[in-house]
Amino acid sequence: MKRILILALVLAVSLASAAASAETLKLGSMSPLTGPYAADGNDIANGVRTAIEVVKAEGGIPGFDDITLSAQDTACDPRQAVAAANKLINDGVSAVIGAYCSSATLPASETLDEEDIIMLTPGSTNENVTERGLQNMFRTCGRDDDQSKAAIAFMKDYLKAKSIYLVDDKTAYSQGLADNVEKASPAAGVQVLGHDHVNQGDKDFSAVLTKVKAANPDVFYVSLQNSATGALLVIQAKRMGIDAVYLAQDAVYHPQLISIAKKDAEGMFLTFGYVDTDSPSYQKFIKAYEPKYGQPGAYSTYAYDSAMAYMAAVKKAGSTELPAVRGALLSMEFKGASKTFRYKENGDSGSNYIIRKVEGGKFVDYWNAQTGEKF
Amino acid sequence: MDYFLQQLINGVTLGGVYALIALGYTMVYGIIQLINFAHGEFFAAGGYMGVIIISYLAANGVSPVVCIVLGMSLTMVYCAILAMAVEKVAYKPLRNSSRLSVLLSALGMSIFLQNGLMLTQGVYDKPYPTAMTAGGFELGNVMISYMQIYIILITSGLLVALNLLVFKTRIGKAMRATAQDKVMSALVGINSNKIISLTFAIGAGLAAAAGIMVGFYYGSVNYTMGFVPGIKAFAAAVLGGIGNITGAMIGGLIIGMVEIFAAGYLSSEYKDVFAFIILIAVLYFRPTGIMGENVDDTRV
Repeated sequence: MKRILILALVLAVSLASAAASAETLKLGSMSPLTGPYAADGNDIANGVRTAIEVVKAEGGIPGFDDITLSAQDTACDPRQAVAAANKLINDGVSAVIGAYCSSATLPASETLDEEDIIMLTPGSTNENVTERGLQNMFRTCGRDDDQSKAAIAFMKDYLKAKSIYLVDDKTAYSQGLADNVEKASPAAGVQVLGHDHVNQGDKDFSAVLTKVKAANPDVFYVSLQNSATGALLVIQAKRMGIDAVYLAQDAVYHPQLISIAKKDAEGMFLTFGYVDTDSPSYQKFIKAYEPKYGQPGAYSTYAYDSAMAYMAAVKKAGSTELPAVRGALLSMEFKGASKTFRYKENGDSGSNYIIRKVEGGKFVDYWNAQTGEKF
Repeated sequence: MDYFLQQLINGVTLGGVYALIALGYTMVYGIIQLINFAHGEFFAAGGYMGVIIISYLAANGVSPVVCIVLGMSLTMVYCAILAMAVEKVAYKPLRNSSRLSVLLSALGMSIFLQNGLMLTQGVYDKPYPTAMTAGGFELGNVMISYMQIYIILITSGLLVALNLLVFKTRIGKAMRATAQDKVMSALVGINSNKIISLTFAIGAGLAAAAGIMVGFYYGSVNYTMGFVPGIKAFAAAVLGGIGNITGAMIGGLIIGMVEIFAAGYLSSEYKDVFAFIILIAVLYFRPTGIMGENVDDTRV
């Protein structure tokens, strides 16, 4: 009898305490916080942090008394990404923003899918991310196939280029993009003079650049998965005297490119998603982000939007269960800092690649790949 | 022909950088038979210290030449002191332990220094004020940048100075004696601890100079920059005959040239492979390295 009484007492106390403290919404982020992609990785974690701060400042989410973030490092490595996913599962998160490298996102999303945890990627552009029919996978950025289409349209319709030389660094992402561009070039009337691969982490490109110079192409396509490496390559290419149009892609897009390459980056073109910096949602983002983390990086807005979209969906669904949140995510239109979007059935949010140019030490919108007009 | 000459200049520049780093490996090995795997981090630390000092001086209106000369000398001194501290903490207590424990201590030190650089300096690349050394000229169709000339000149200068130090001074004599026999040289009154410390300091100073030049040449430095050049310079030291100063210079030049020519004429994705194939071939057919024969005369 005494034992039962104690048991009842314990039960009552634990129930009371559960009722007293409302739930905490636990978010996770996965991105390369160390290693060569650490710049983009930290931008992603900071973007999610900003989203949480903004939501908290606006009164939080009903039913949750706090929102926390557990930021994990993937180092862009598939094994470490799966380990990070398991860590986040143990932490009891209900959603993960990440990862950055597609090669890390693909295995991690499978692990998270088994536990019905939602994953929203701000930076993985590989087509396969959303082509596997996973219920938990969402993507806020654009897709590789759309990005190479934008690059080719620019070469064909705007530059009227006759020849191209491609350099990539052999990641699934960078080589995939370069291969897509190479394949579509002949049909666009552009002759492929060469396609070289460098190693990740290389600092010396003089040998490859001497080749490029000898080939003398109209367009020099720089497909590297790192903005700092892109800056090194551009500095060395300019020093070598390569007079081509420099065309790069979204992983080279980062304030770091300009801060390192300085005037050597001038006149360079990059494909990147269109971000309307005048929109109220971007202004709200930048006001919260800049004082704390400085100038936003390439993926800060996508990470912020991913986290904002998820939290809005939880608010609408009133739950963190996968089917309910998935339904809410698919039913809502988000006015994000990067773009206004609606997730499609496969988890994609649509691509809006444009051509940007480095002008006067800034990235400026230059040419719209959808309409074929200058901004 | 233009293409070949251009690649030759690229190769000599890169080879010079490797040679400077390789000297540290070879000197330390020569004197205490330790492969100092933390050596690449002195190169990275030099690159960082260089940009910090030079940017500070430049921001205060000091002229570029003074900036570079002062920045370079201060950085070399800083890295020399850092190397002596590392030696004191990580290697000296283990001098009579098995070789494996010292090697592990070196690897640990390398990771420690690299992470220290990351935590204090951040993960972003640090840009060098490249405008100071920008520009170049064209010889026919061959583009030579001023920075390439500076690298070749400064590297040669440092190599000559090192040779003079080792072969013409009393300190050099003491270093060579310690390398040959630590106990005997101690018996005739050479302070071998001091000489070992000095060897670390000189090696790290040369690596620091290479770090600054690479920073200017490529435009920025990163906390991971020491690892790959460190491994390649180690390969260069082995190729030249580890423990041999002249060998390290020649080995560095060969590794740099092979890398560039492999990238220029074969395929750039396999350039690292070619450098190491040469290394394996040398070890297979001539295990002492290129300059391995007269090891007792020129070893430090």
